[in-house]
Amino acid sequence: MEQTKELLVNMGPQHPSTHGVLRLMVKLDGETVTWCQPDVGYLHRCFEKLCESKTYPQVIPFTDRTDYAGPMLHELCFVEATEKLFGEAITVPDRAQYIRVLTSEFQRICSHLLALGSMAMDIGAVTPFLYCWRDREKMYSILERITGTRMLYNYFRVGGLRNDLPVGIIGSPNDGEDKADKTFWGFINYFDSYVVPQWEALVTGNRIFQWRTMGVGCLKSEDAIAYSASGAVLRGSGVKWDLRKNLPNSFYDRFEFDIPVGKENGDCFDRWLVRQEEMKQSSRIVKQCLQWLAENSGEVMGKVPRILKPPKGEIYHRVEAARGEVACYVVSDGSPNPYKVKWRSPCFTHLQLMPHLCPGHKIADVVAILGSIDIVLGEVDR
Amino acid sequence: MEFLKEKFPEAQFATLVNGDTEILTTGAEYLNVVKACHAAGYTFCSVVSAIDWKERLTLVASLCRINPAEINARTIHVKVDLPRTGAHVQSIVELYPGANFHERETYDMYGIRFDGHPNHRRILLPDNWQGGHPLLKDFIDKRPKRPRLVRYRNAE
Repeated sequence: MEQTKELLVNMGPQHPSTHGVLRLMVKLDGETVTWCQPDVGYLHRCFEKLCESKTYPQVIPFTDRTDYAGPMLHELCFVEATEKLFGEAITVPDRAQYIRVLTSEFQRICSHLLALGSMAMDIGAVTPFLYCWRDREKMYSILERITGTRMLYNYFRVGGLRNDLPVGIIGSPNDGEDKADKTFWGFINYFDSYVVPQWEALVTGNRIFQWRTMGVGCLKSEDAIAYSASGAVLRGSGVKWDLRKNLPNSFYDRFEFDIPVGKENGDCFDRWLVRQEEMKQSSRIVKQCLQWLAENSGEVMGKVPRILKPPKGEIYHRVEAARGEVACYVVSDGSPNPYKVKWRSPCFTHLQLMPHLCPGHKIADVVAILGSIDIVLGEVDR
Repeated sequence: MEFLKEKFPEAQFATLVNGDTEILTTGAEYLNVVKACHAAGYTFCSVVSAIDWKERLTLVASLCRINPAEINARTIHVKVDLPRTGAHVQSIVELYPGANFHERETYDMYGIRFDGHPNHRRILLPDNWQGGHPLLKDFIDKRPKRPRLVRYRNAE
């Protein structure tokens, strides 16, 4: 009788579809995956140890470098945790809070575009990835005008922001595509009228894409909670849970938006749809911010002491970032340096799903599953 | 968190600045506290970590409740004080599969062992790493120093 032997294949660490340096050990029976185990740590630099020798403002640039595709939301997490440690001593001006929400949601669109583009490219559609970069370039140009850099912003400060929005960046609600890389309104109008319909027609409605993603990597909602999934992975499995609504930080309770959810046993396509719908909801929040900011002016930096010495205490602050729940555990001993910083990264947690989701699928589906849980390796290894 | 106060009256309770509950228990009771939290609906393990207080270690497991109708649901932090050397507690991976990587990371960084963990290895550092546990406060990096880059015009 003929027998088959299981084959152990290493995907990565230099595999182009693993979004960085991730090693996936996969056991194959023919083309079917029987076992999968991720191996991480190739980018590990122990930024938590580094934080212990830095002051609180000096930690903010490191938080950018964890998730380099959506850094604003990570800054928000650390900055707000530090403000909470001070208790009532630091109040952030309203305008700063609105700009924080504006840039964070703008960043969420930017990050989801990359997630969708790279997932489509992993499956084999190269064109959407180029379209995603076309639009991300426009967003980077706008963010560059605000913060001075294109990727790692270091824009939020404990107590407010580094600088106010530059003059004319908000634009007017009638701005069209020609102003898409110059004003917020220009980009949002371009995004709503052109980018979203294009994605829906080009990829979401594509039959090959649907065949590749539907019924692949199904995750039950109770499993999603047990495996500590968050963000689009959790909502793709039909759990209506968004920290922006359920544990509002910053001014998120002042905005109107919906939480898109997938079906009970969510597959890769559900996660795709959730991300796509979330971009539209983020665009709604951005519009509400722009309306408020156009009418109101004011300070963007509250009163903070020259040297930040939070009182003794501990804080665990959770924020809905682009990839899921980002949280940081900060312990202060009353000195200018944090005694301990622990970064809870969603991608690191989501990688635990790989051994659960992959067995039984073909090897080409592993790439689709990995794309749908949307990892950034800088955040996995921190 | 009244249900915990009734069940574990000898544990110490505290409240964090943002309203989270903190319960300090013993290593023997740790798994029972976690089980009680799980039974009360705290089925989402956000993170497992540790704090090094120089004379002792504190293990922290942060458990949350995922209830879409609930707003401002606070987290429970289950804490255990452990000795600096030879610390070990029961693993909670059976209840919370999502704690798997976090427990491995805590072992990697602080040297706390988790009894009953299905895959008890280092995770971020290499498997053959001999240099100790980096997030301990007395960790010394024993690797050879890399030569500093010198500008050409200053070089000999």
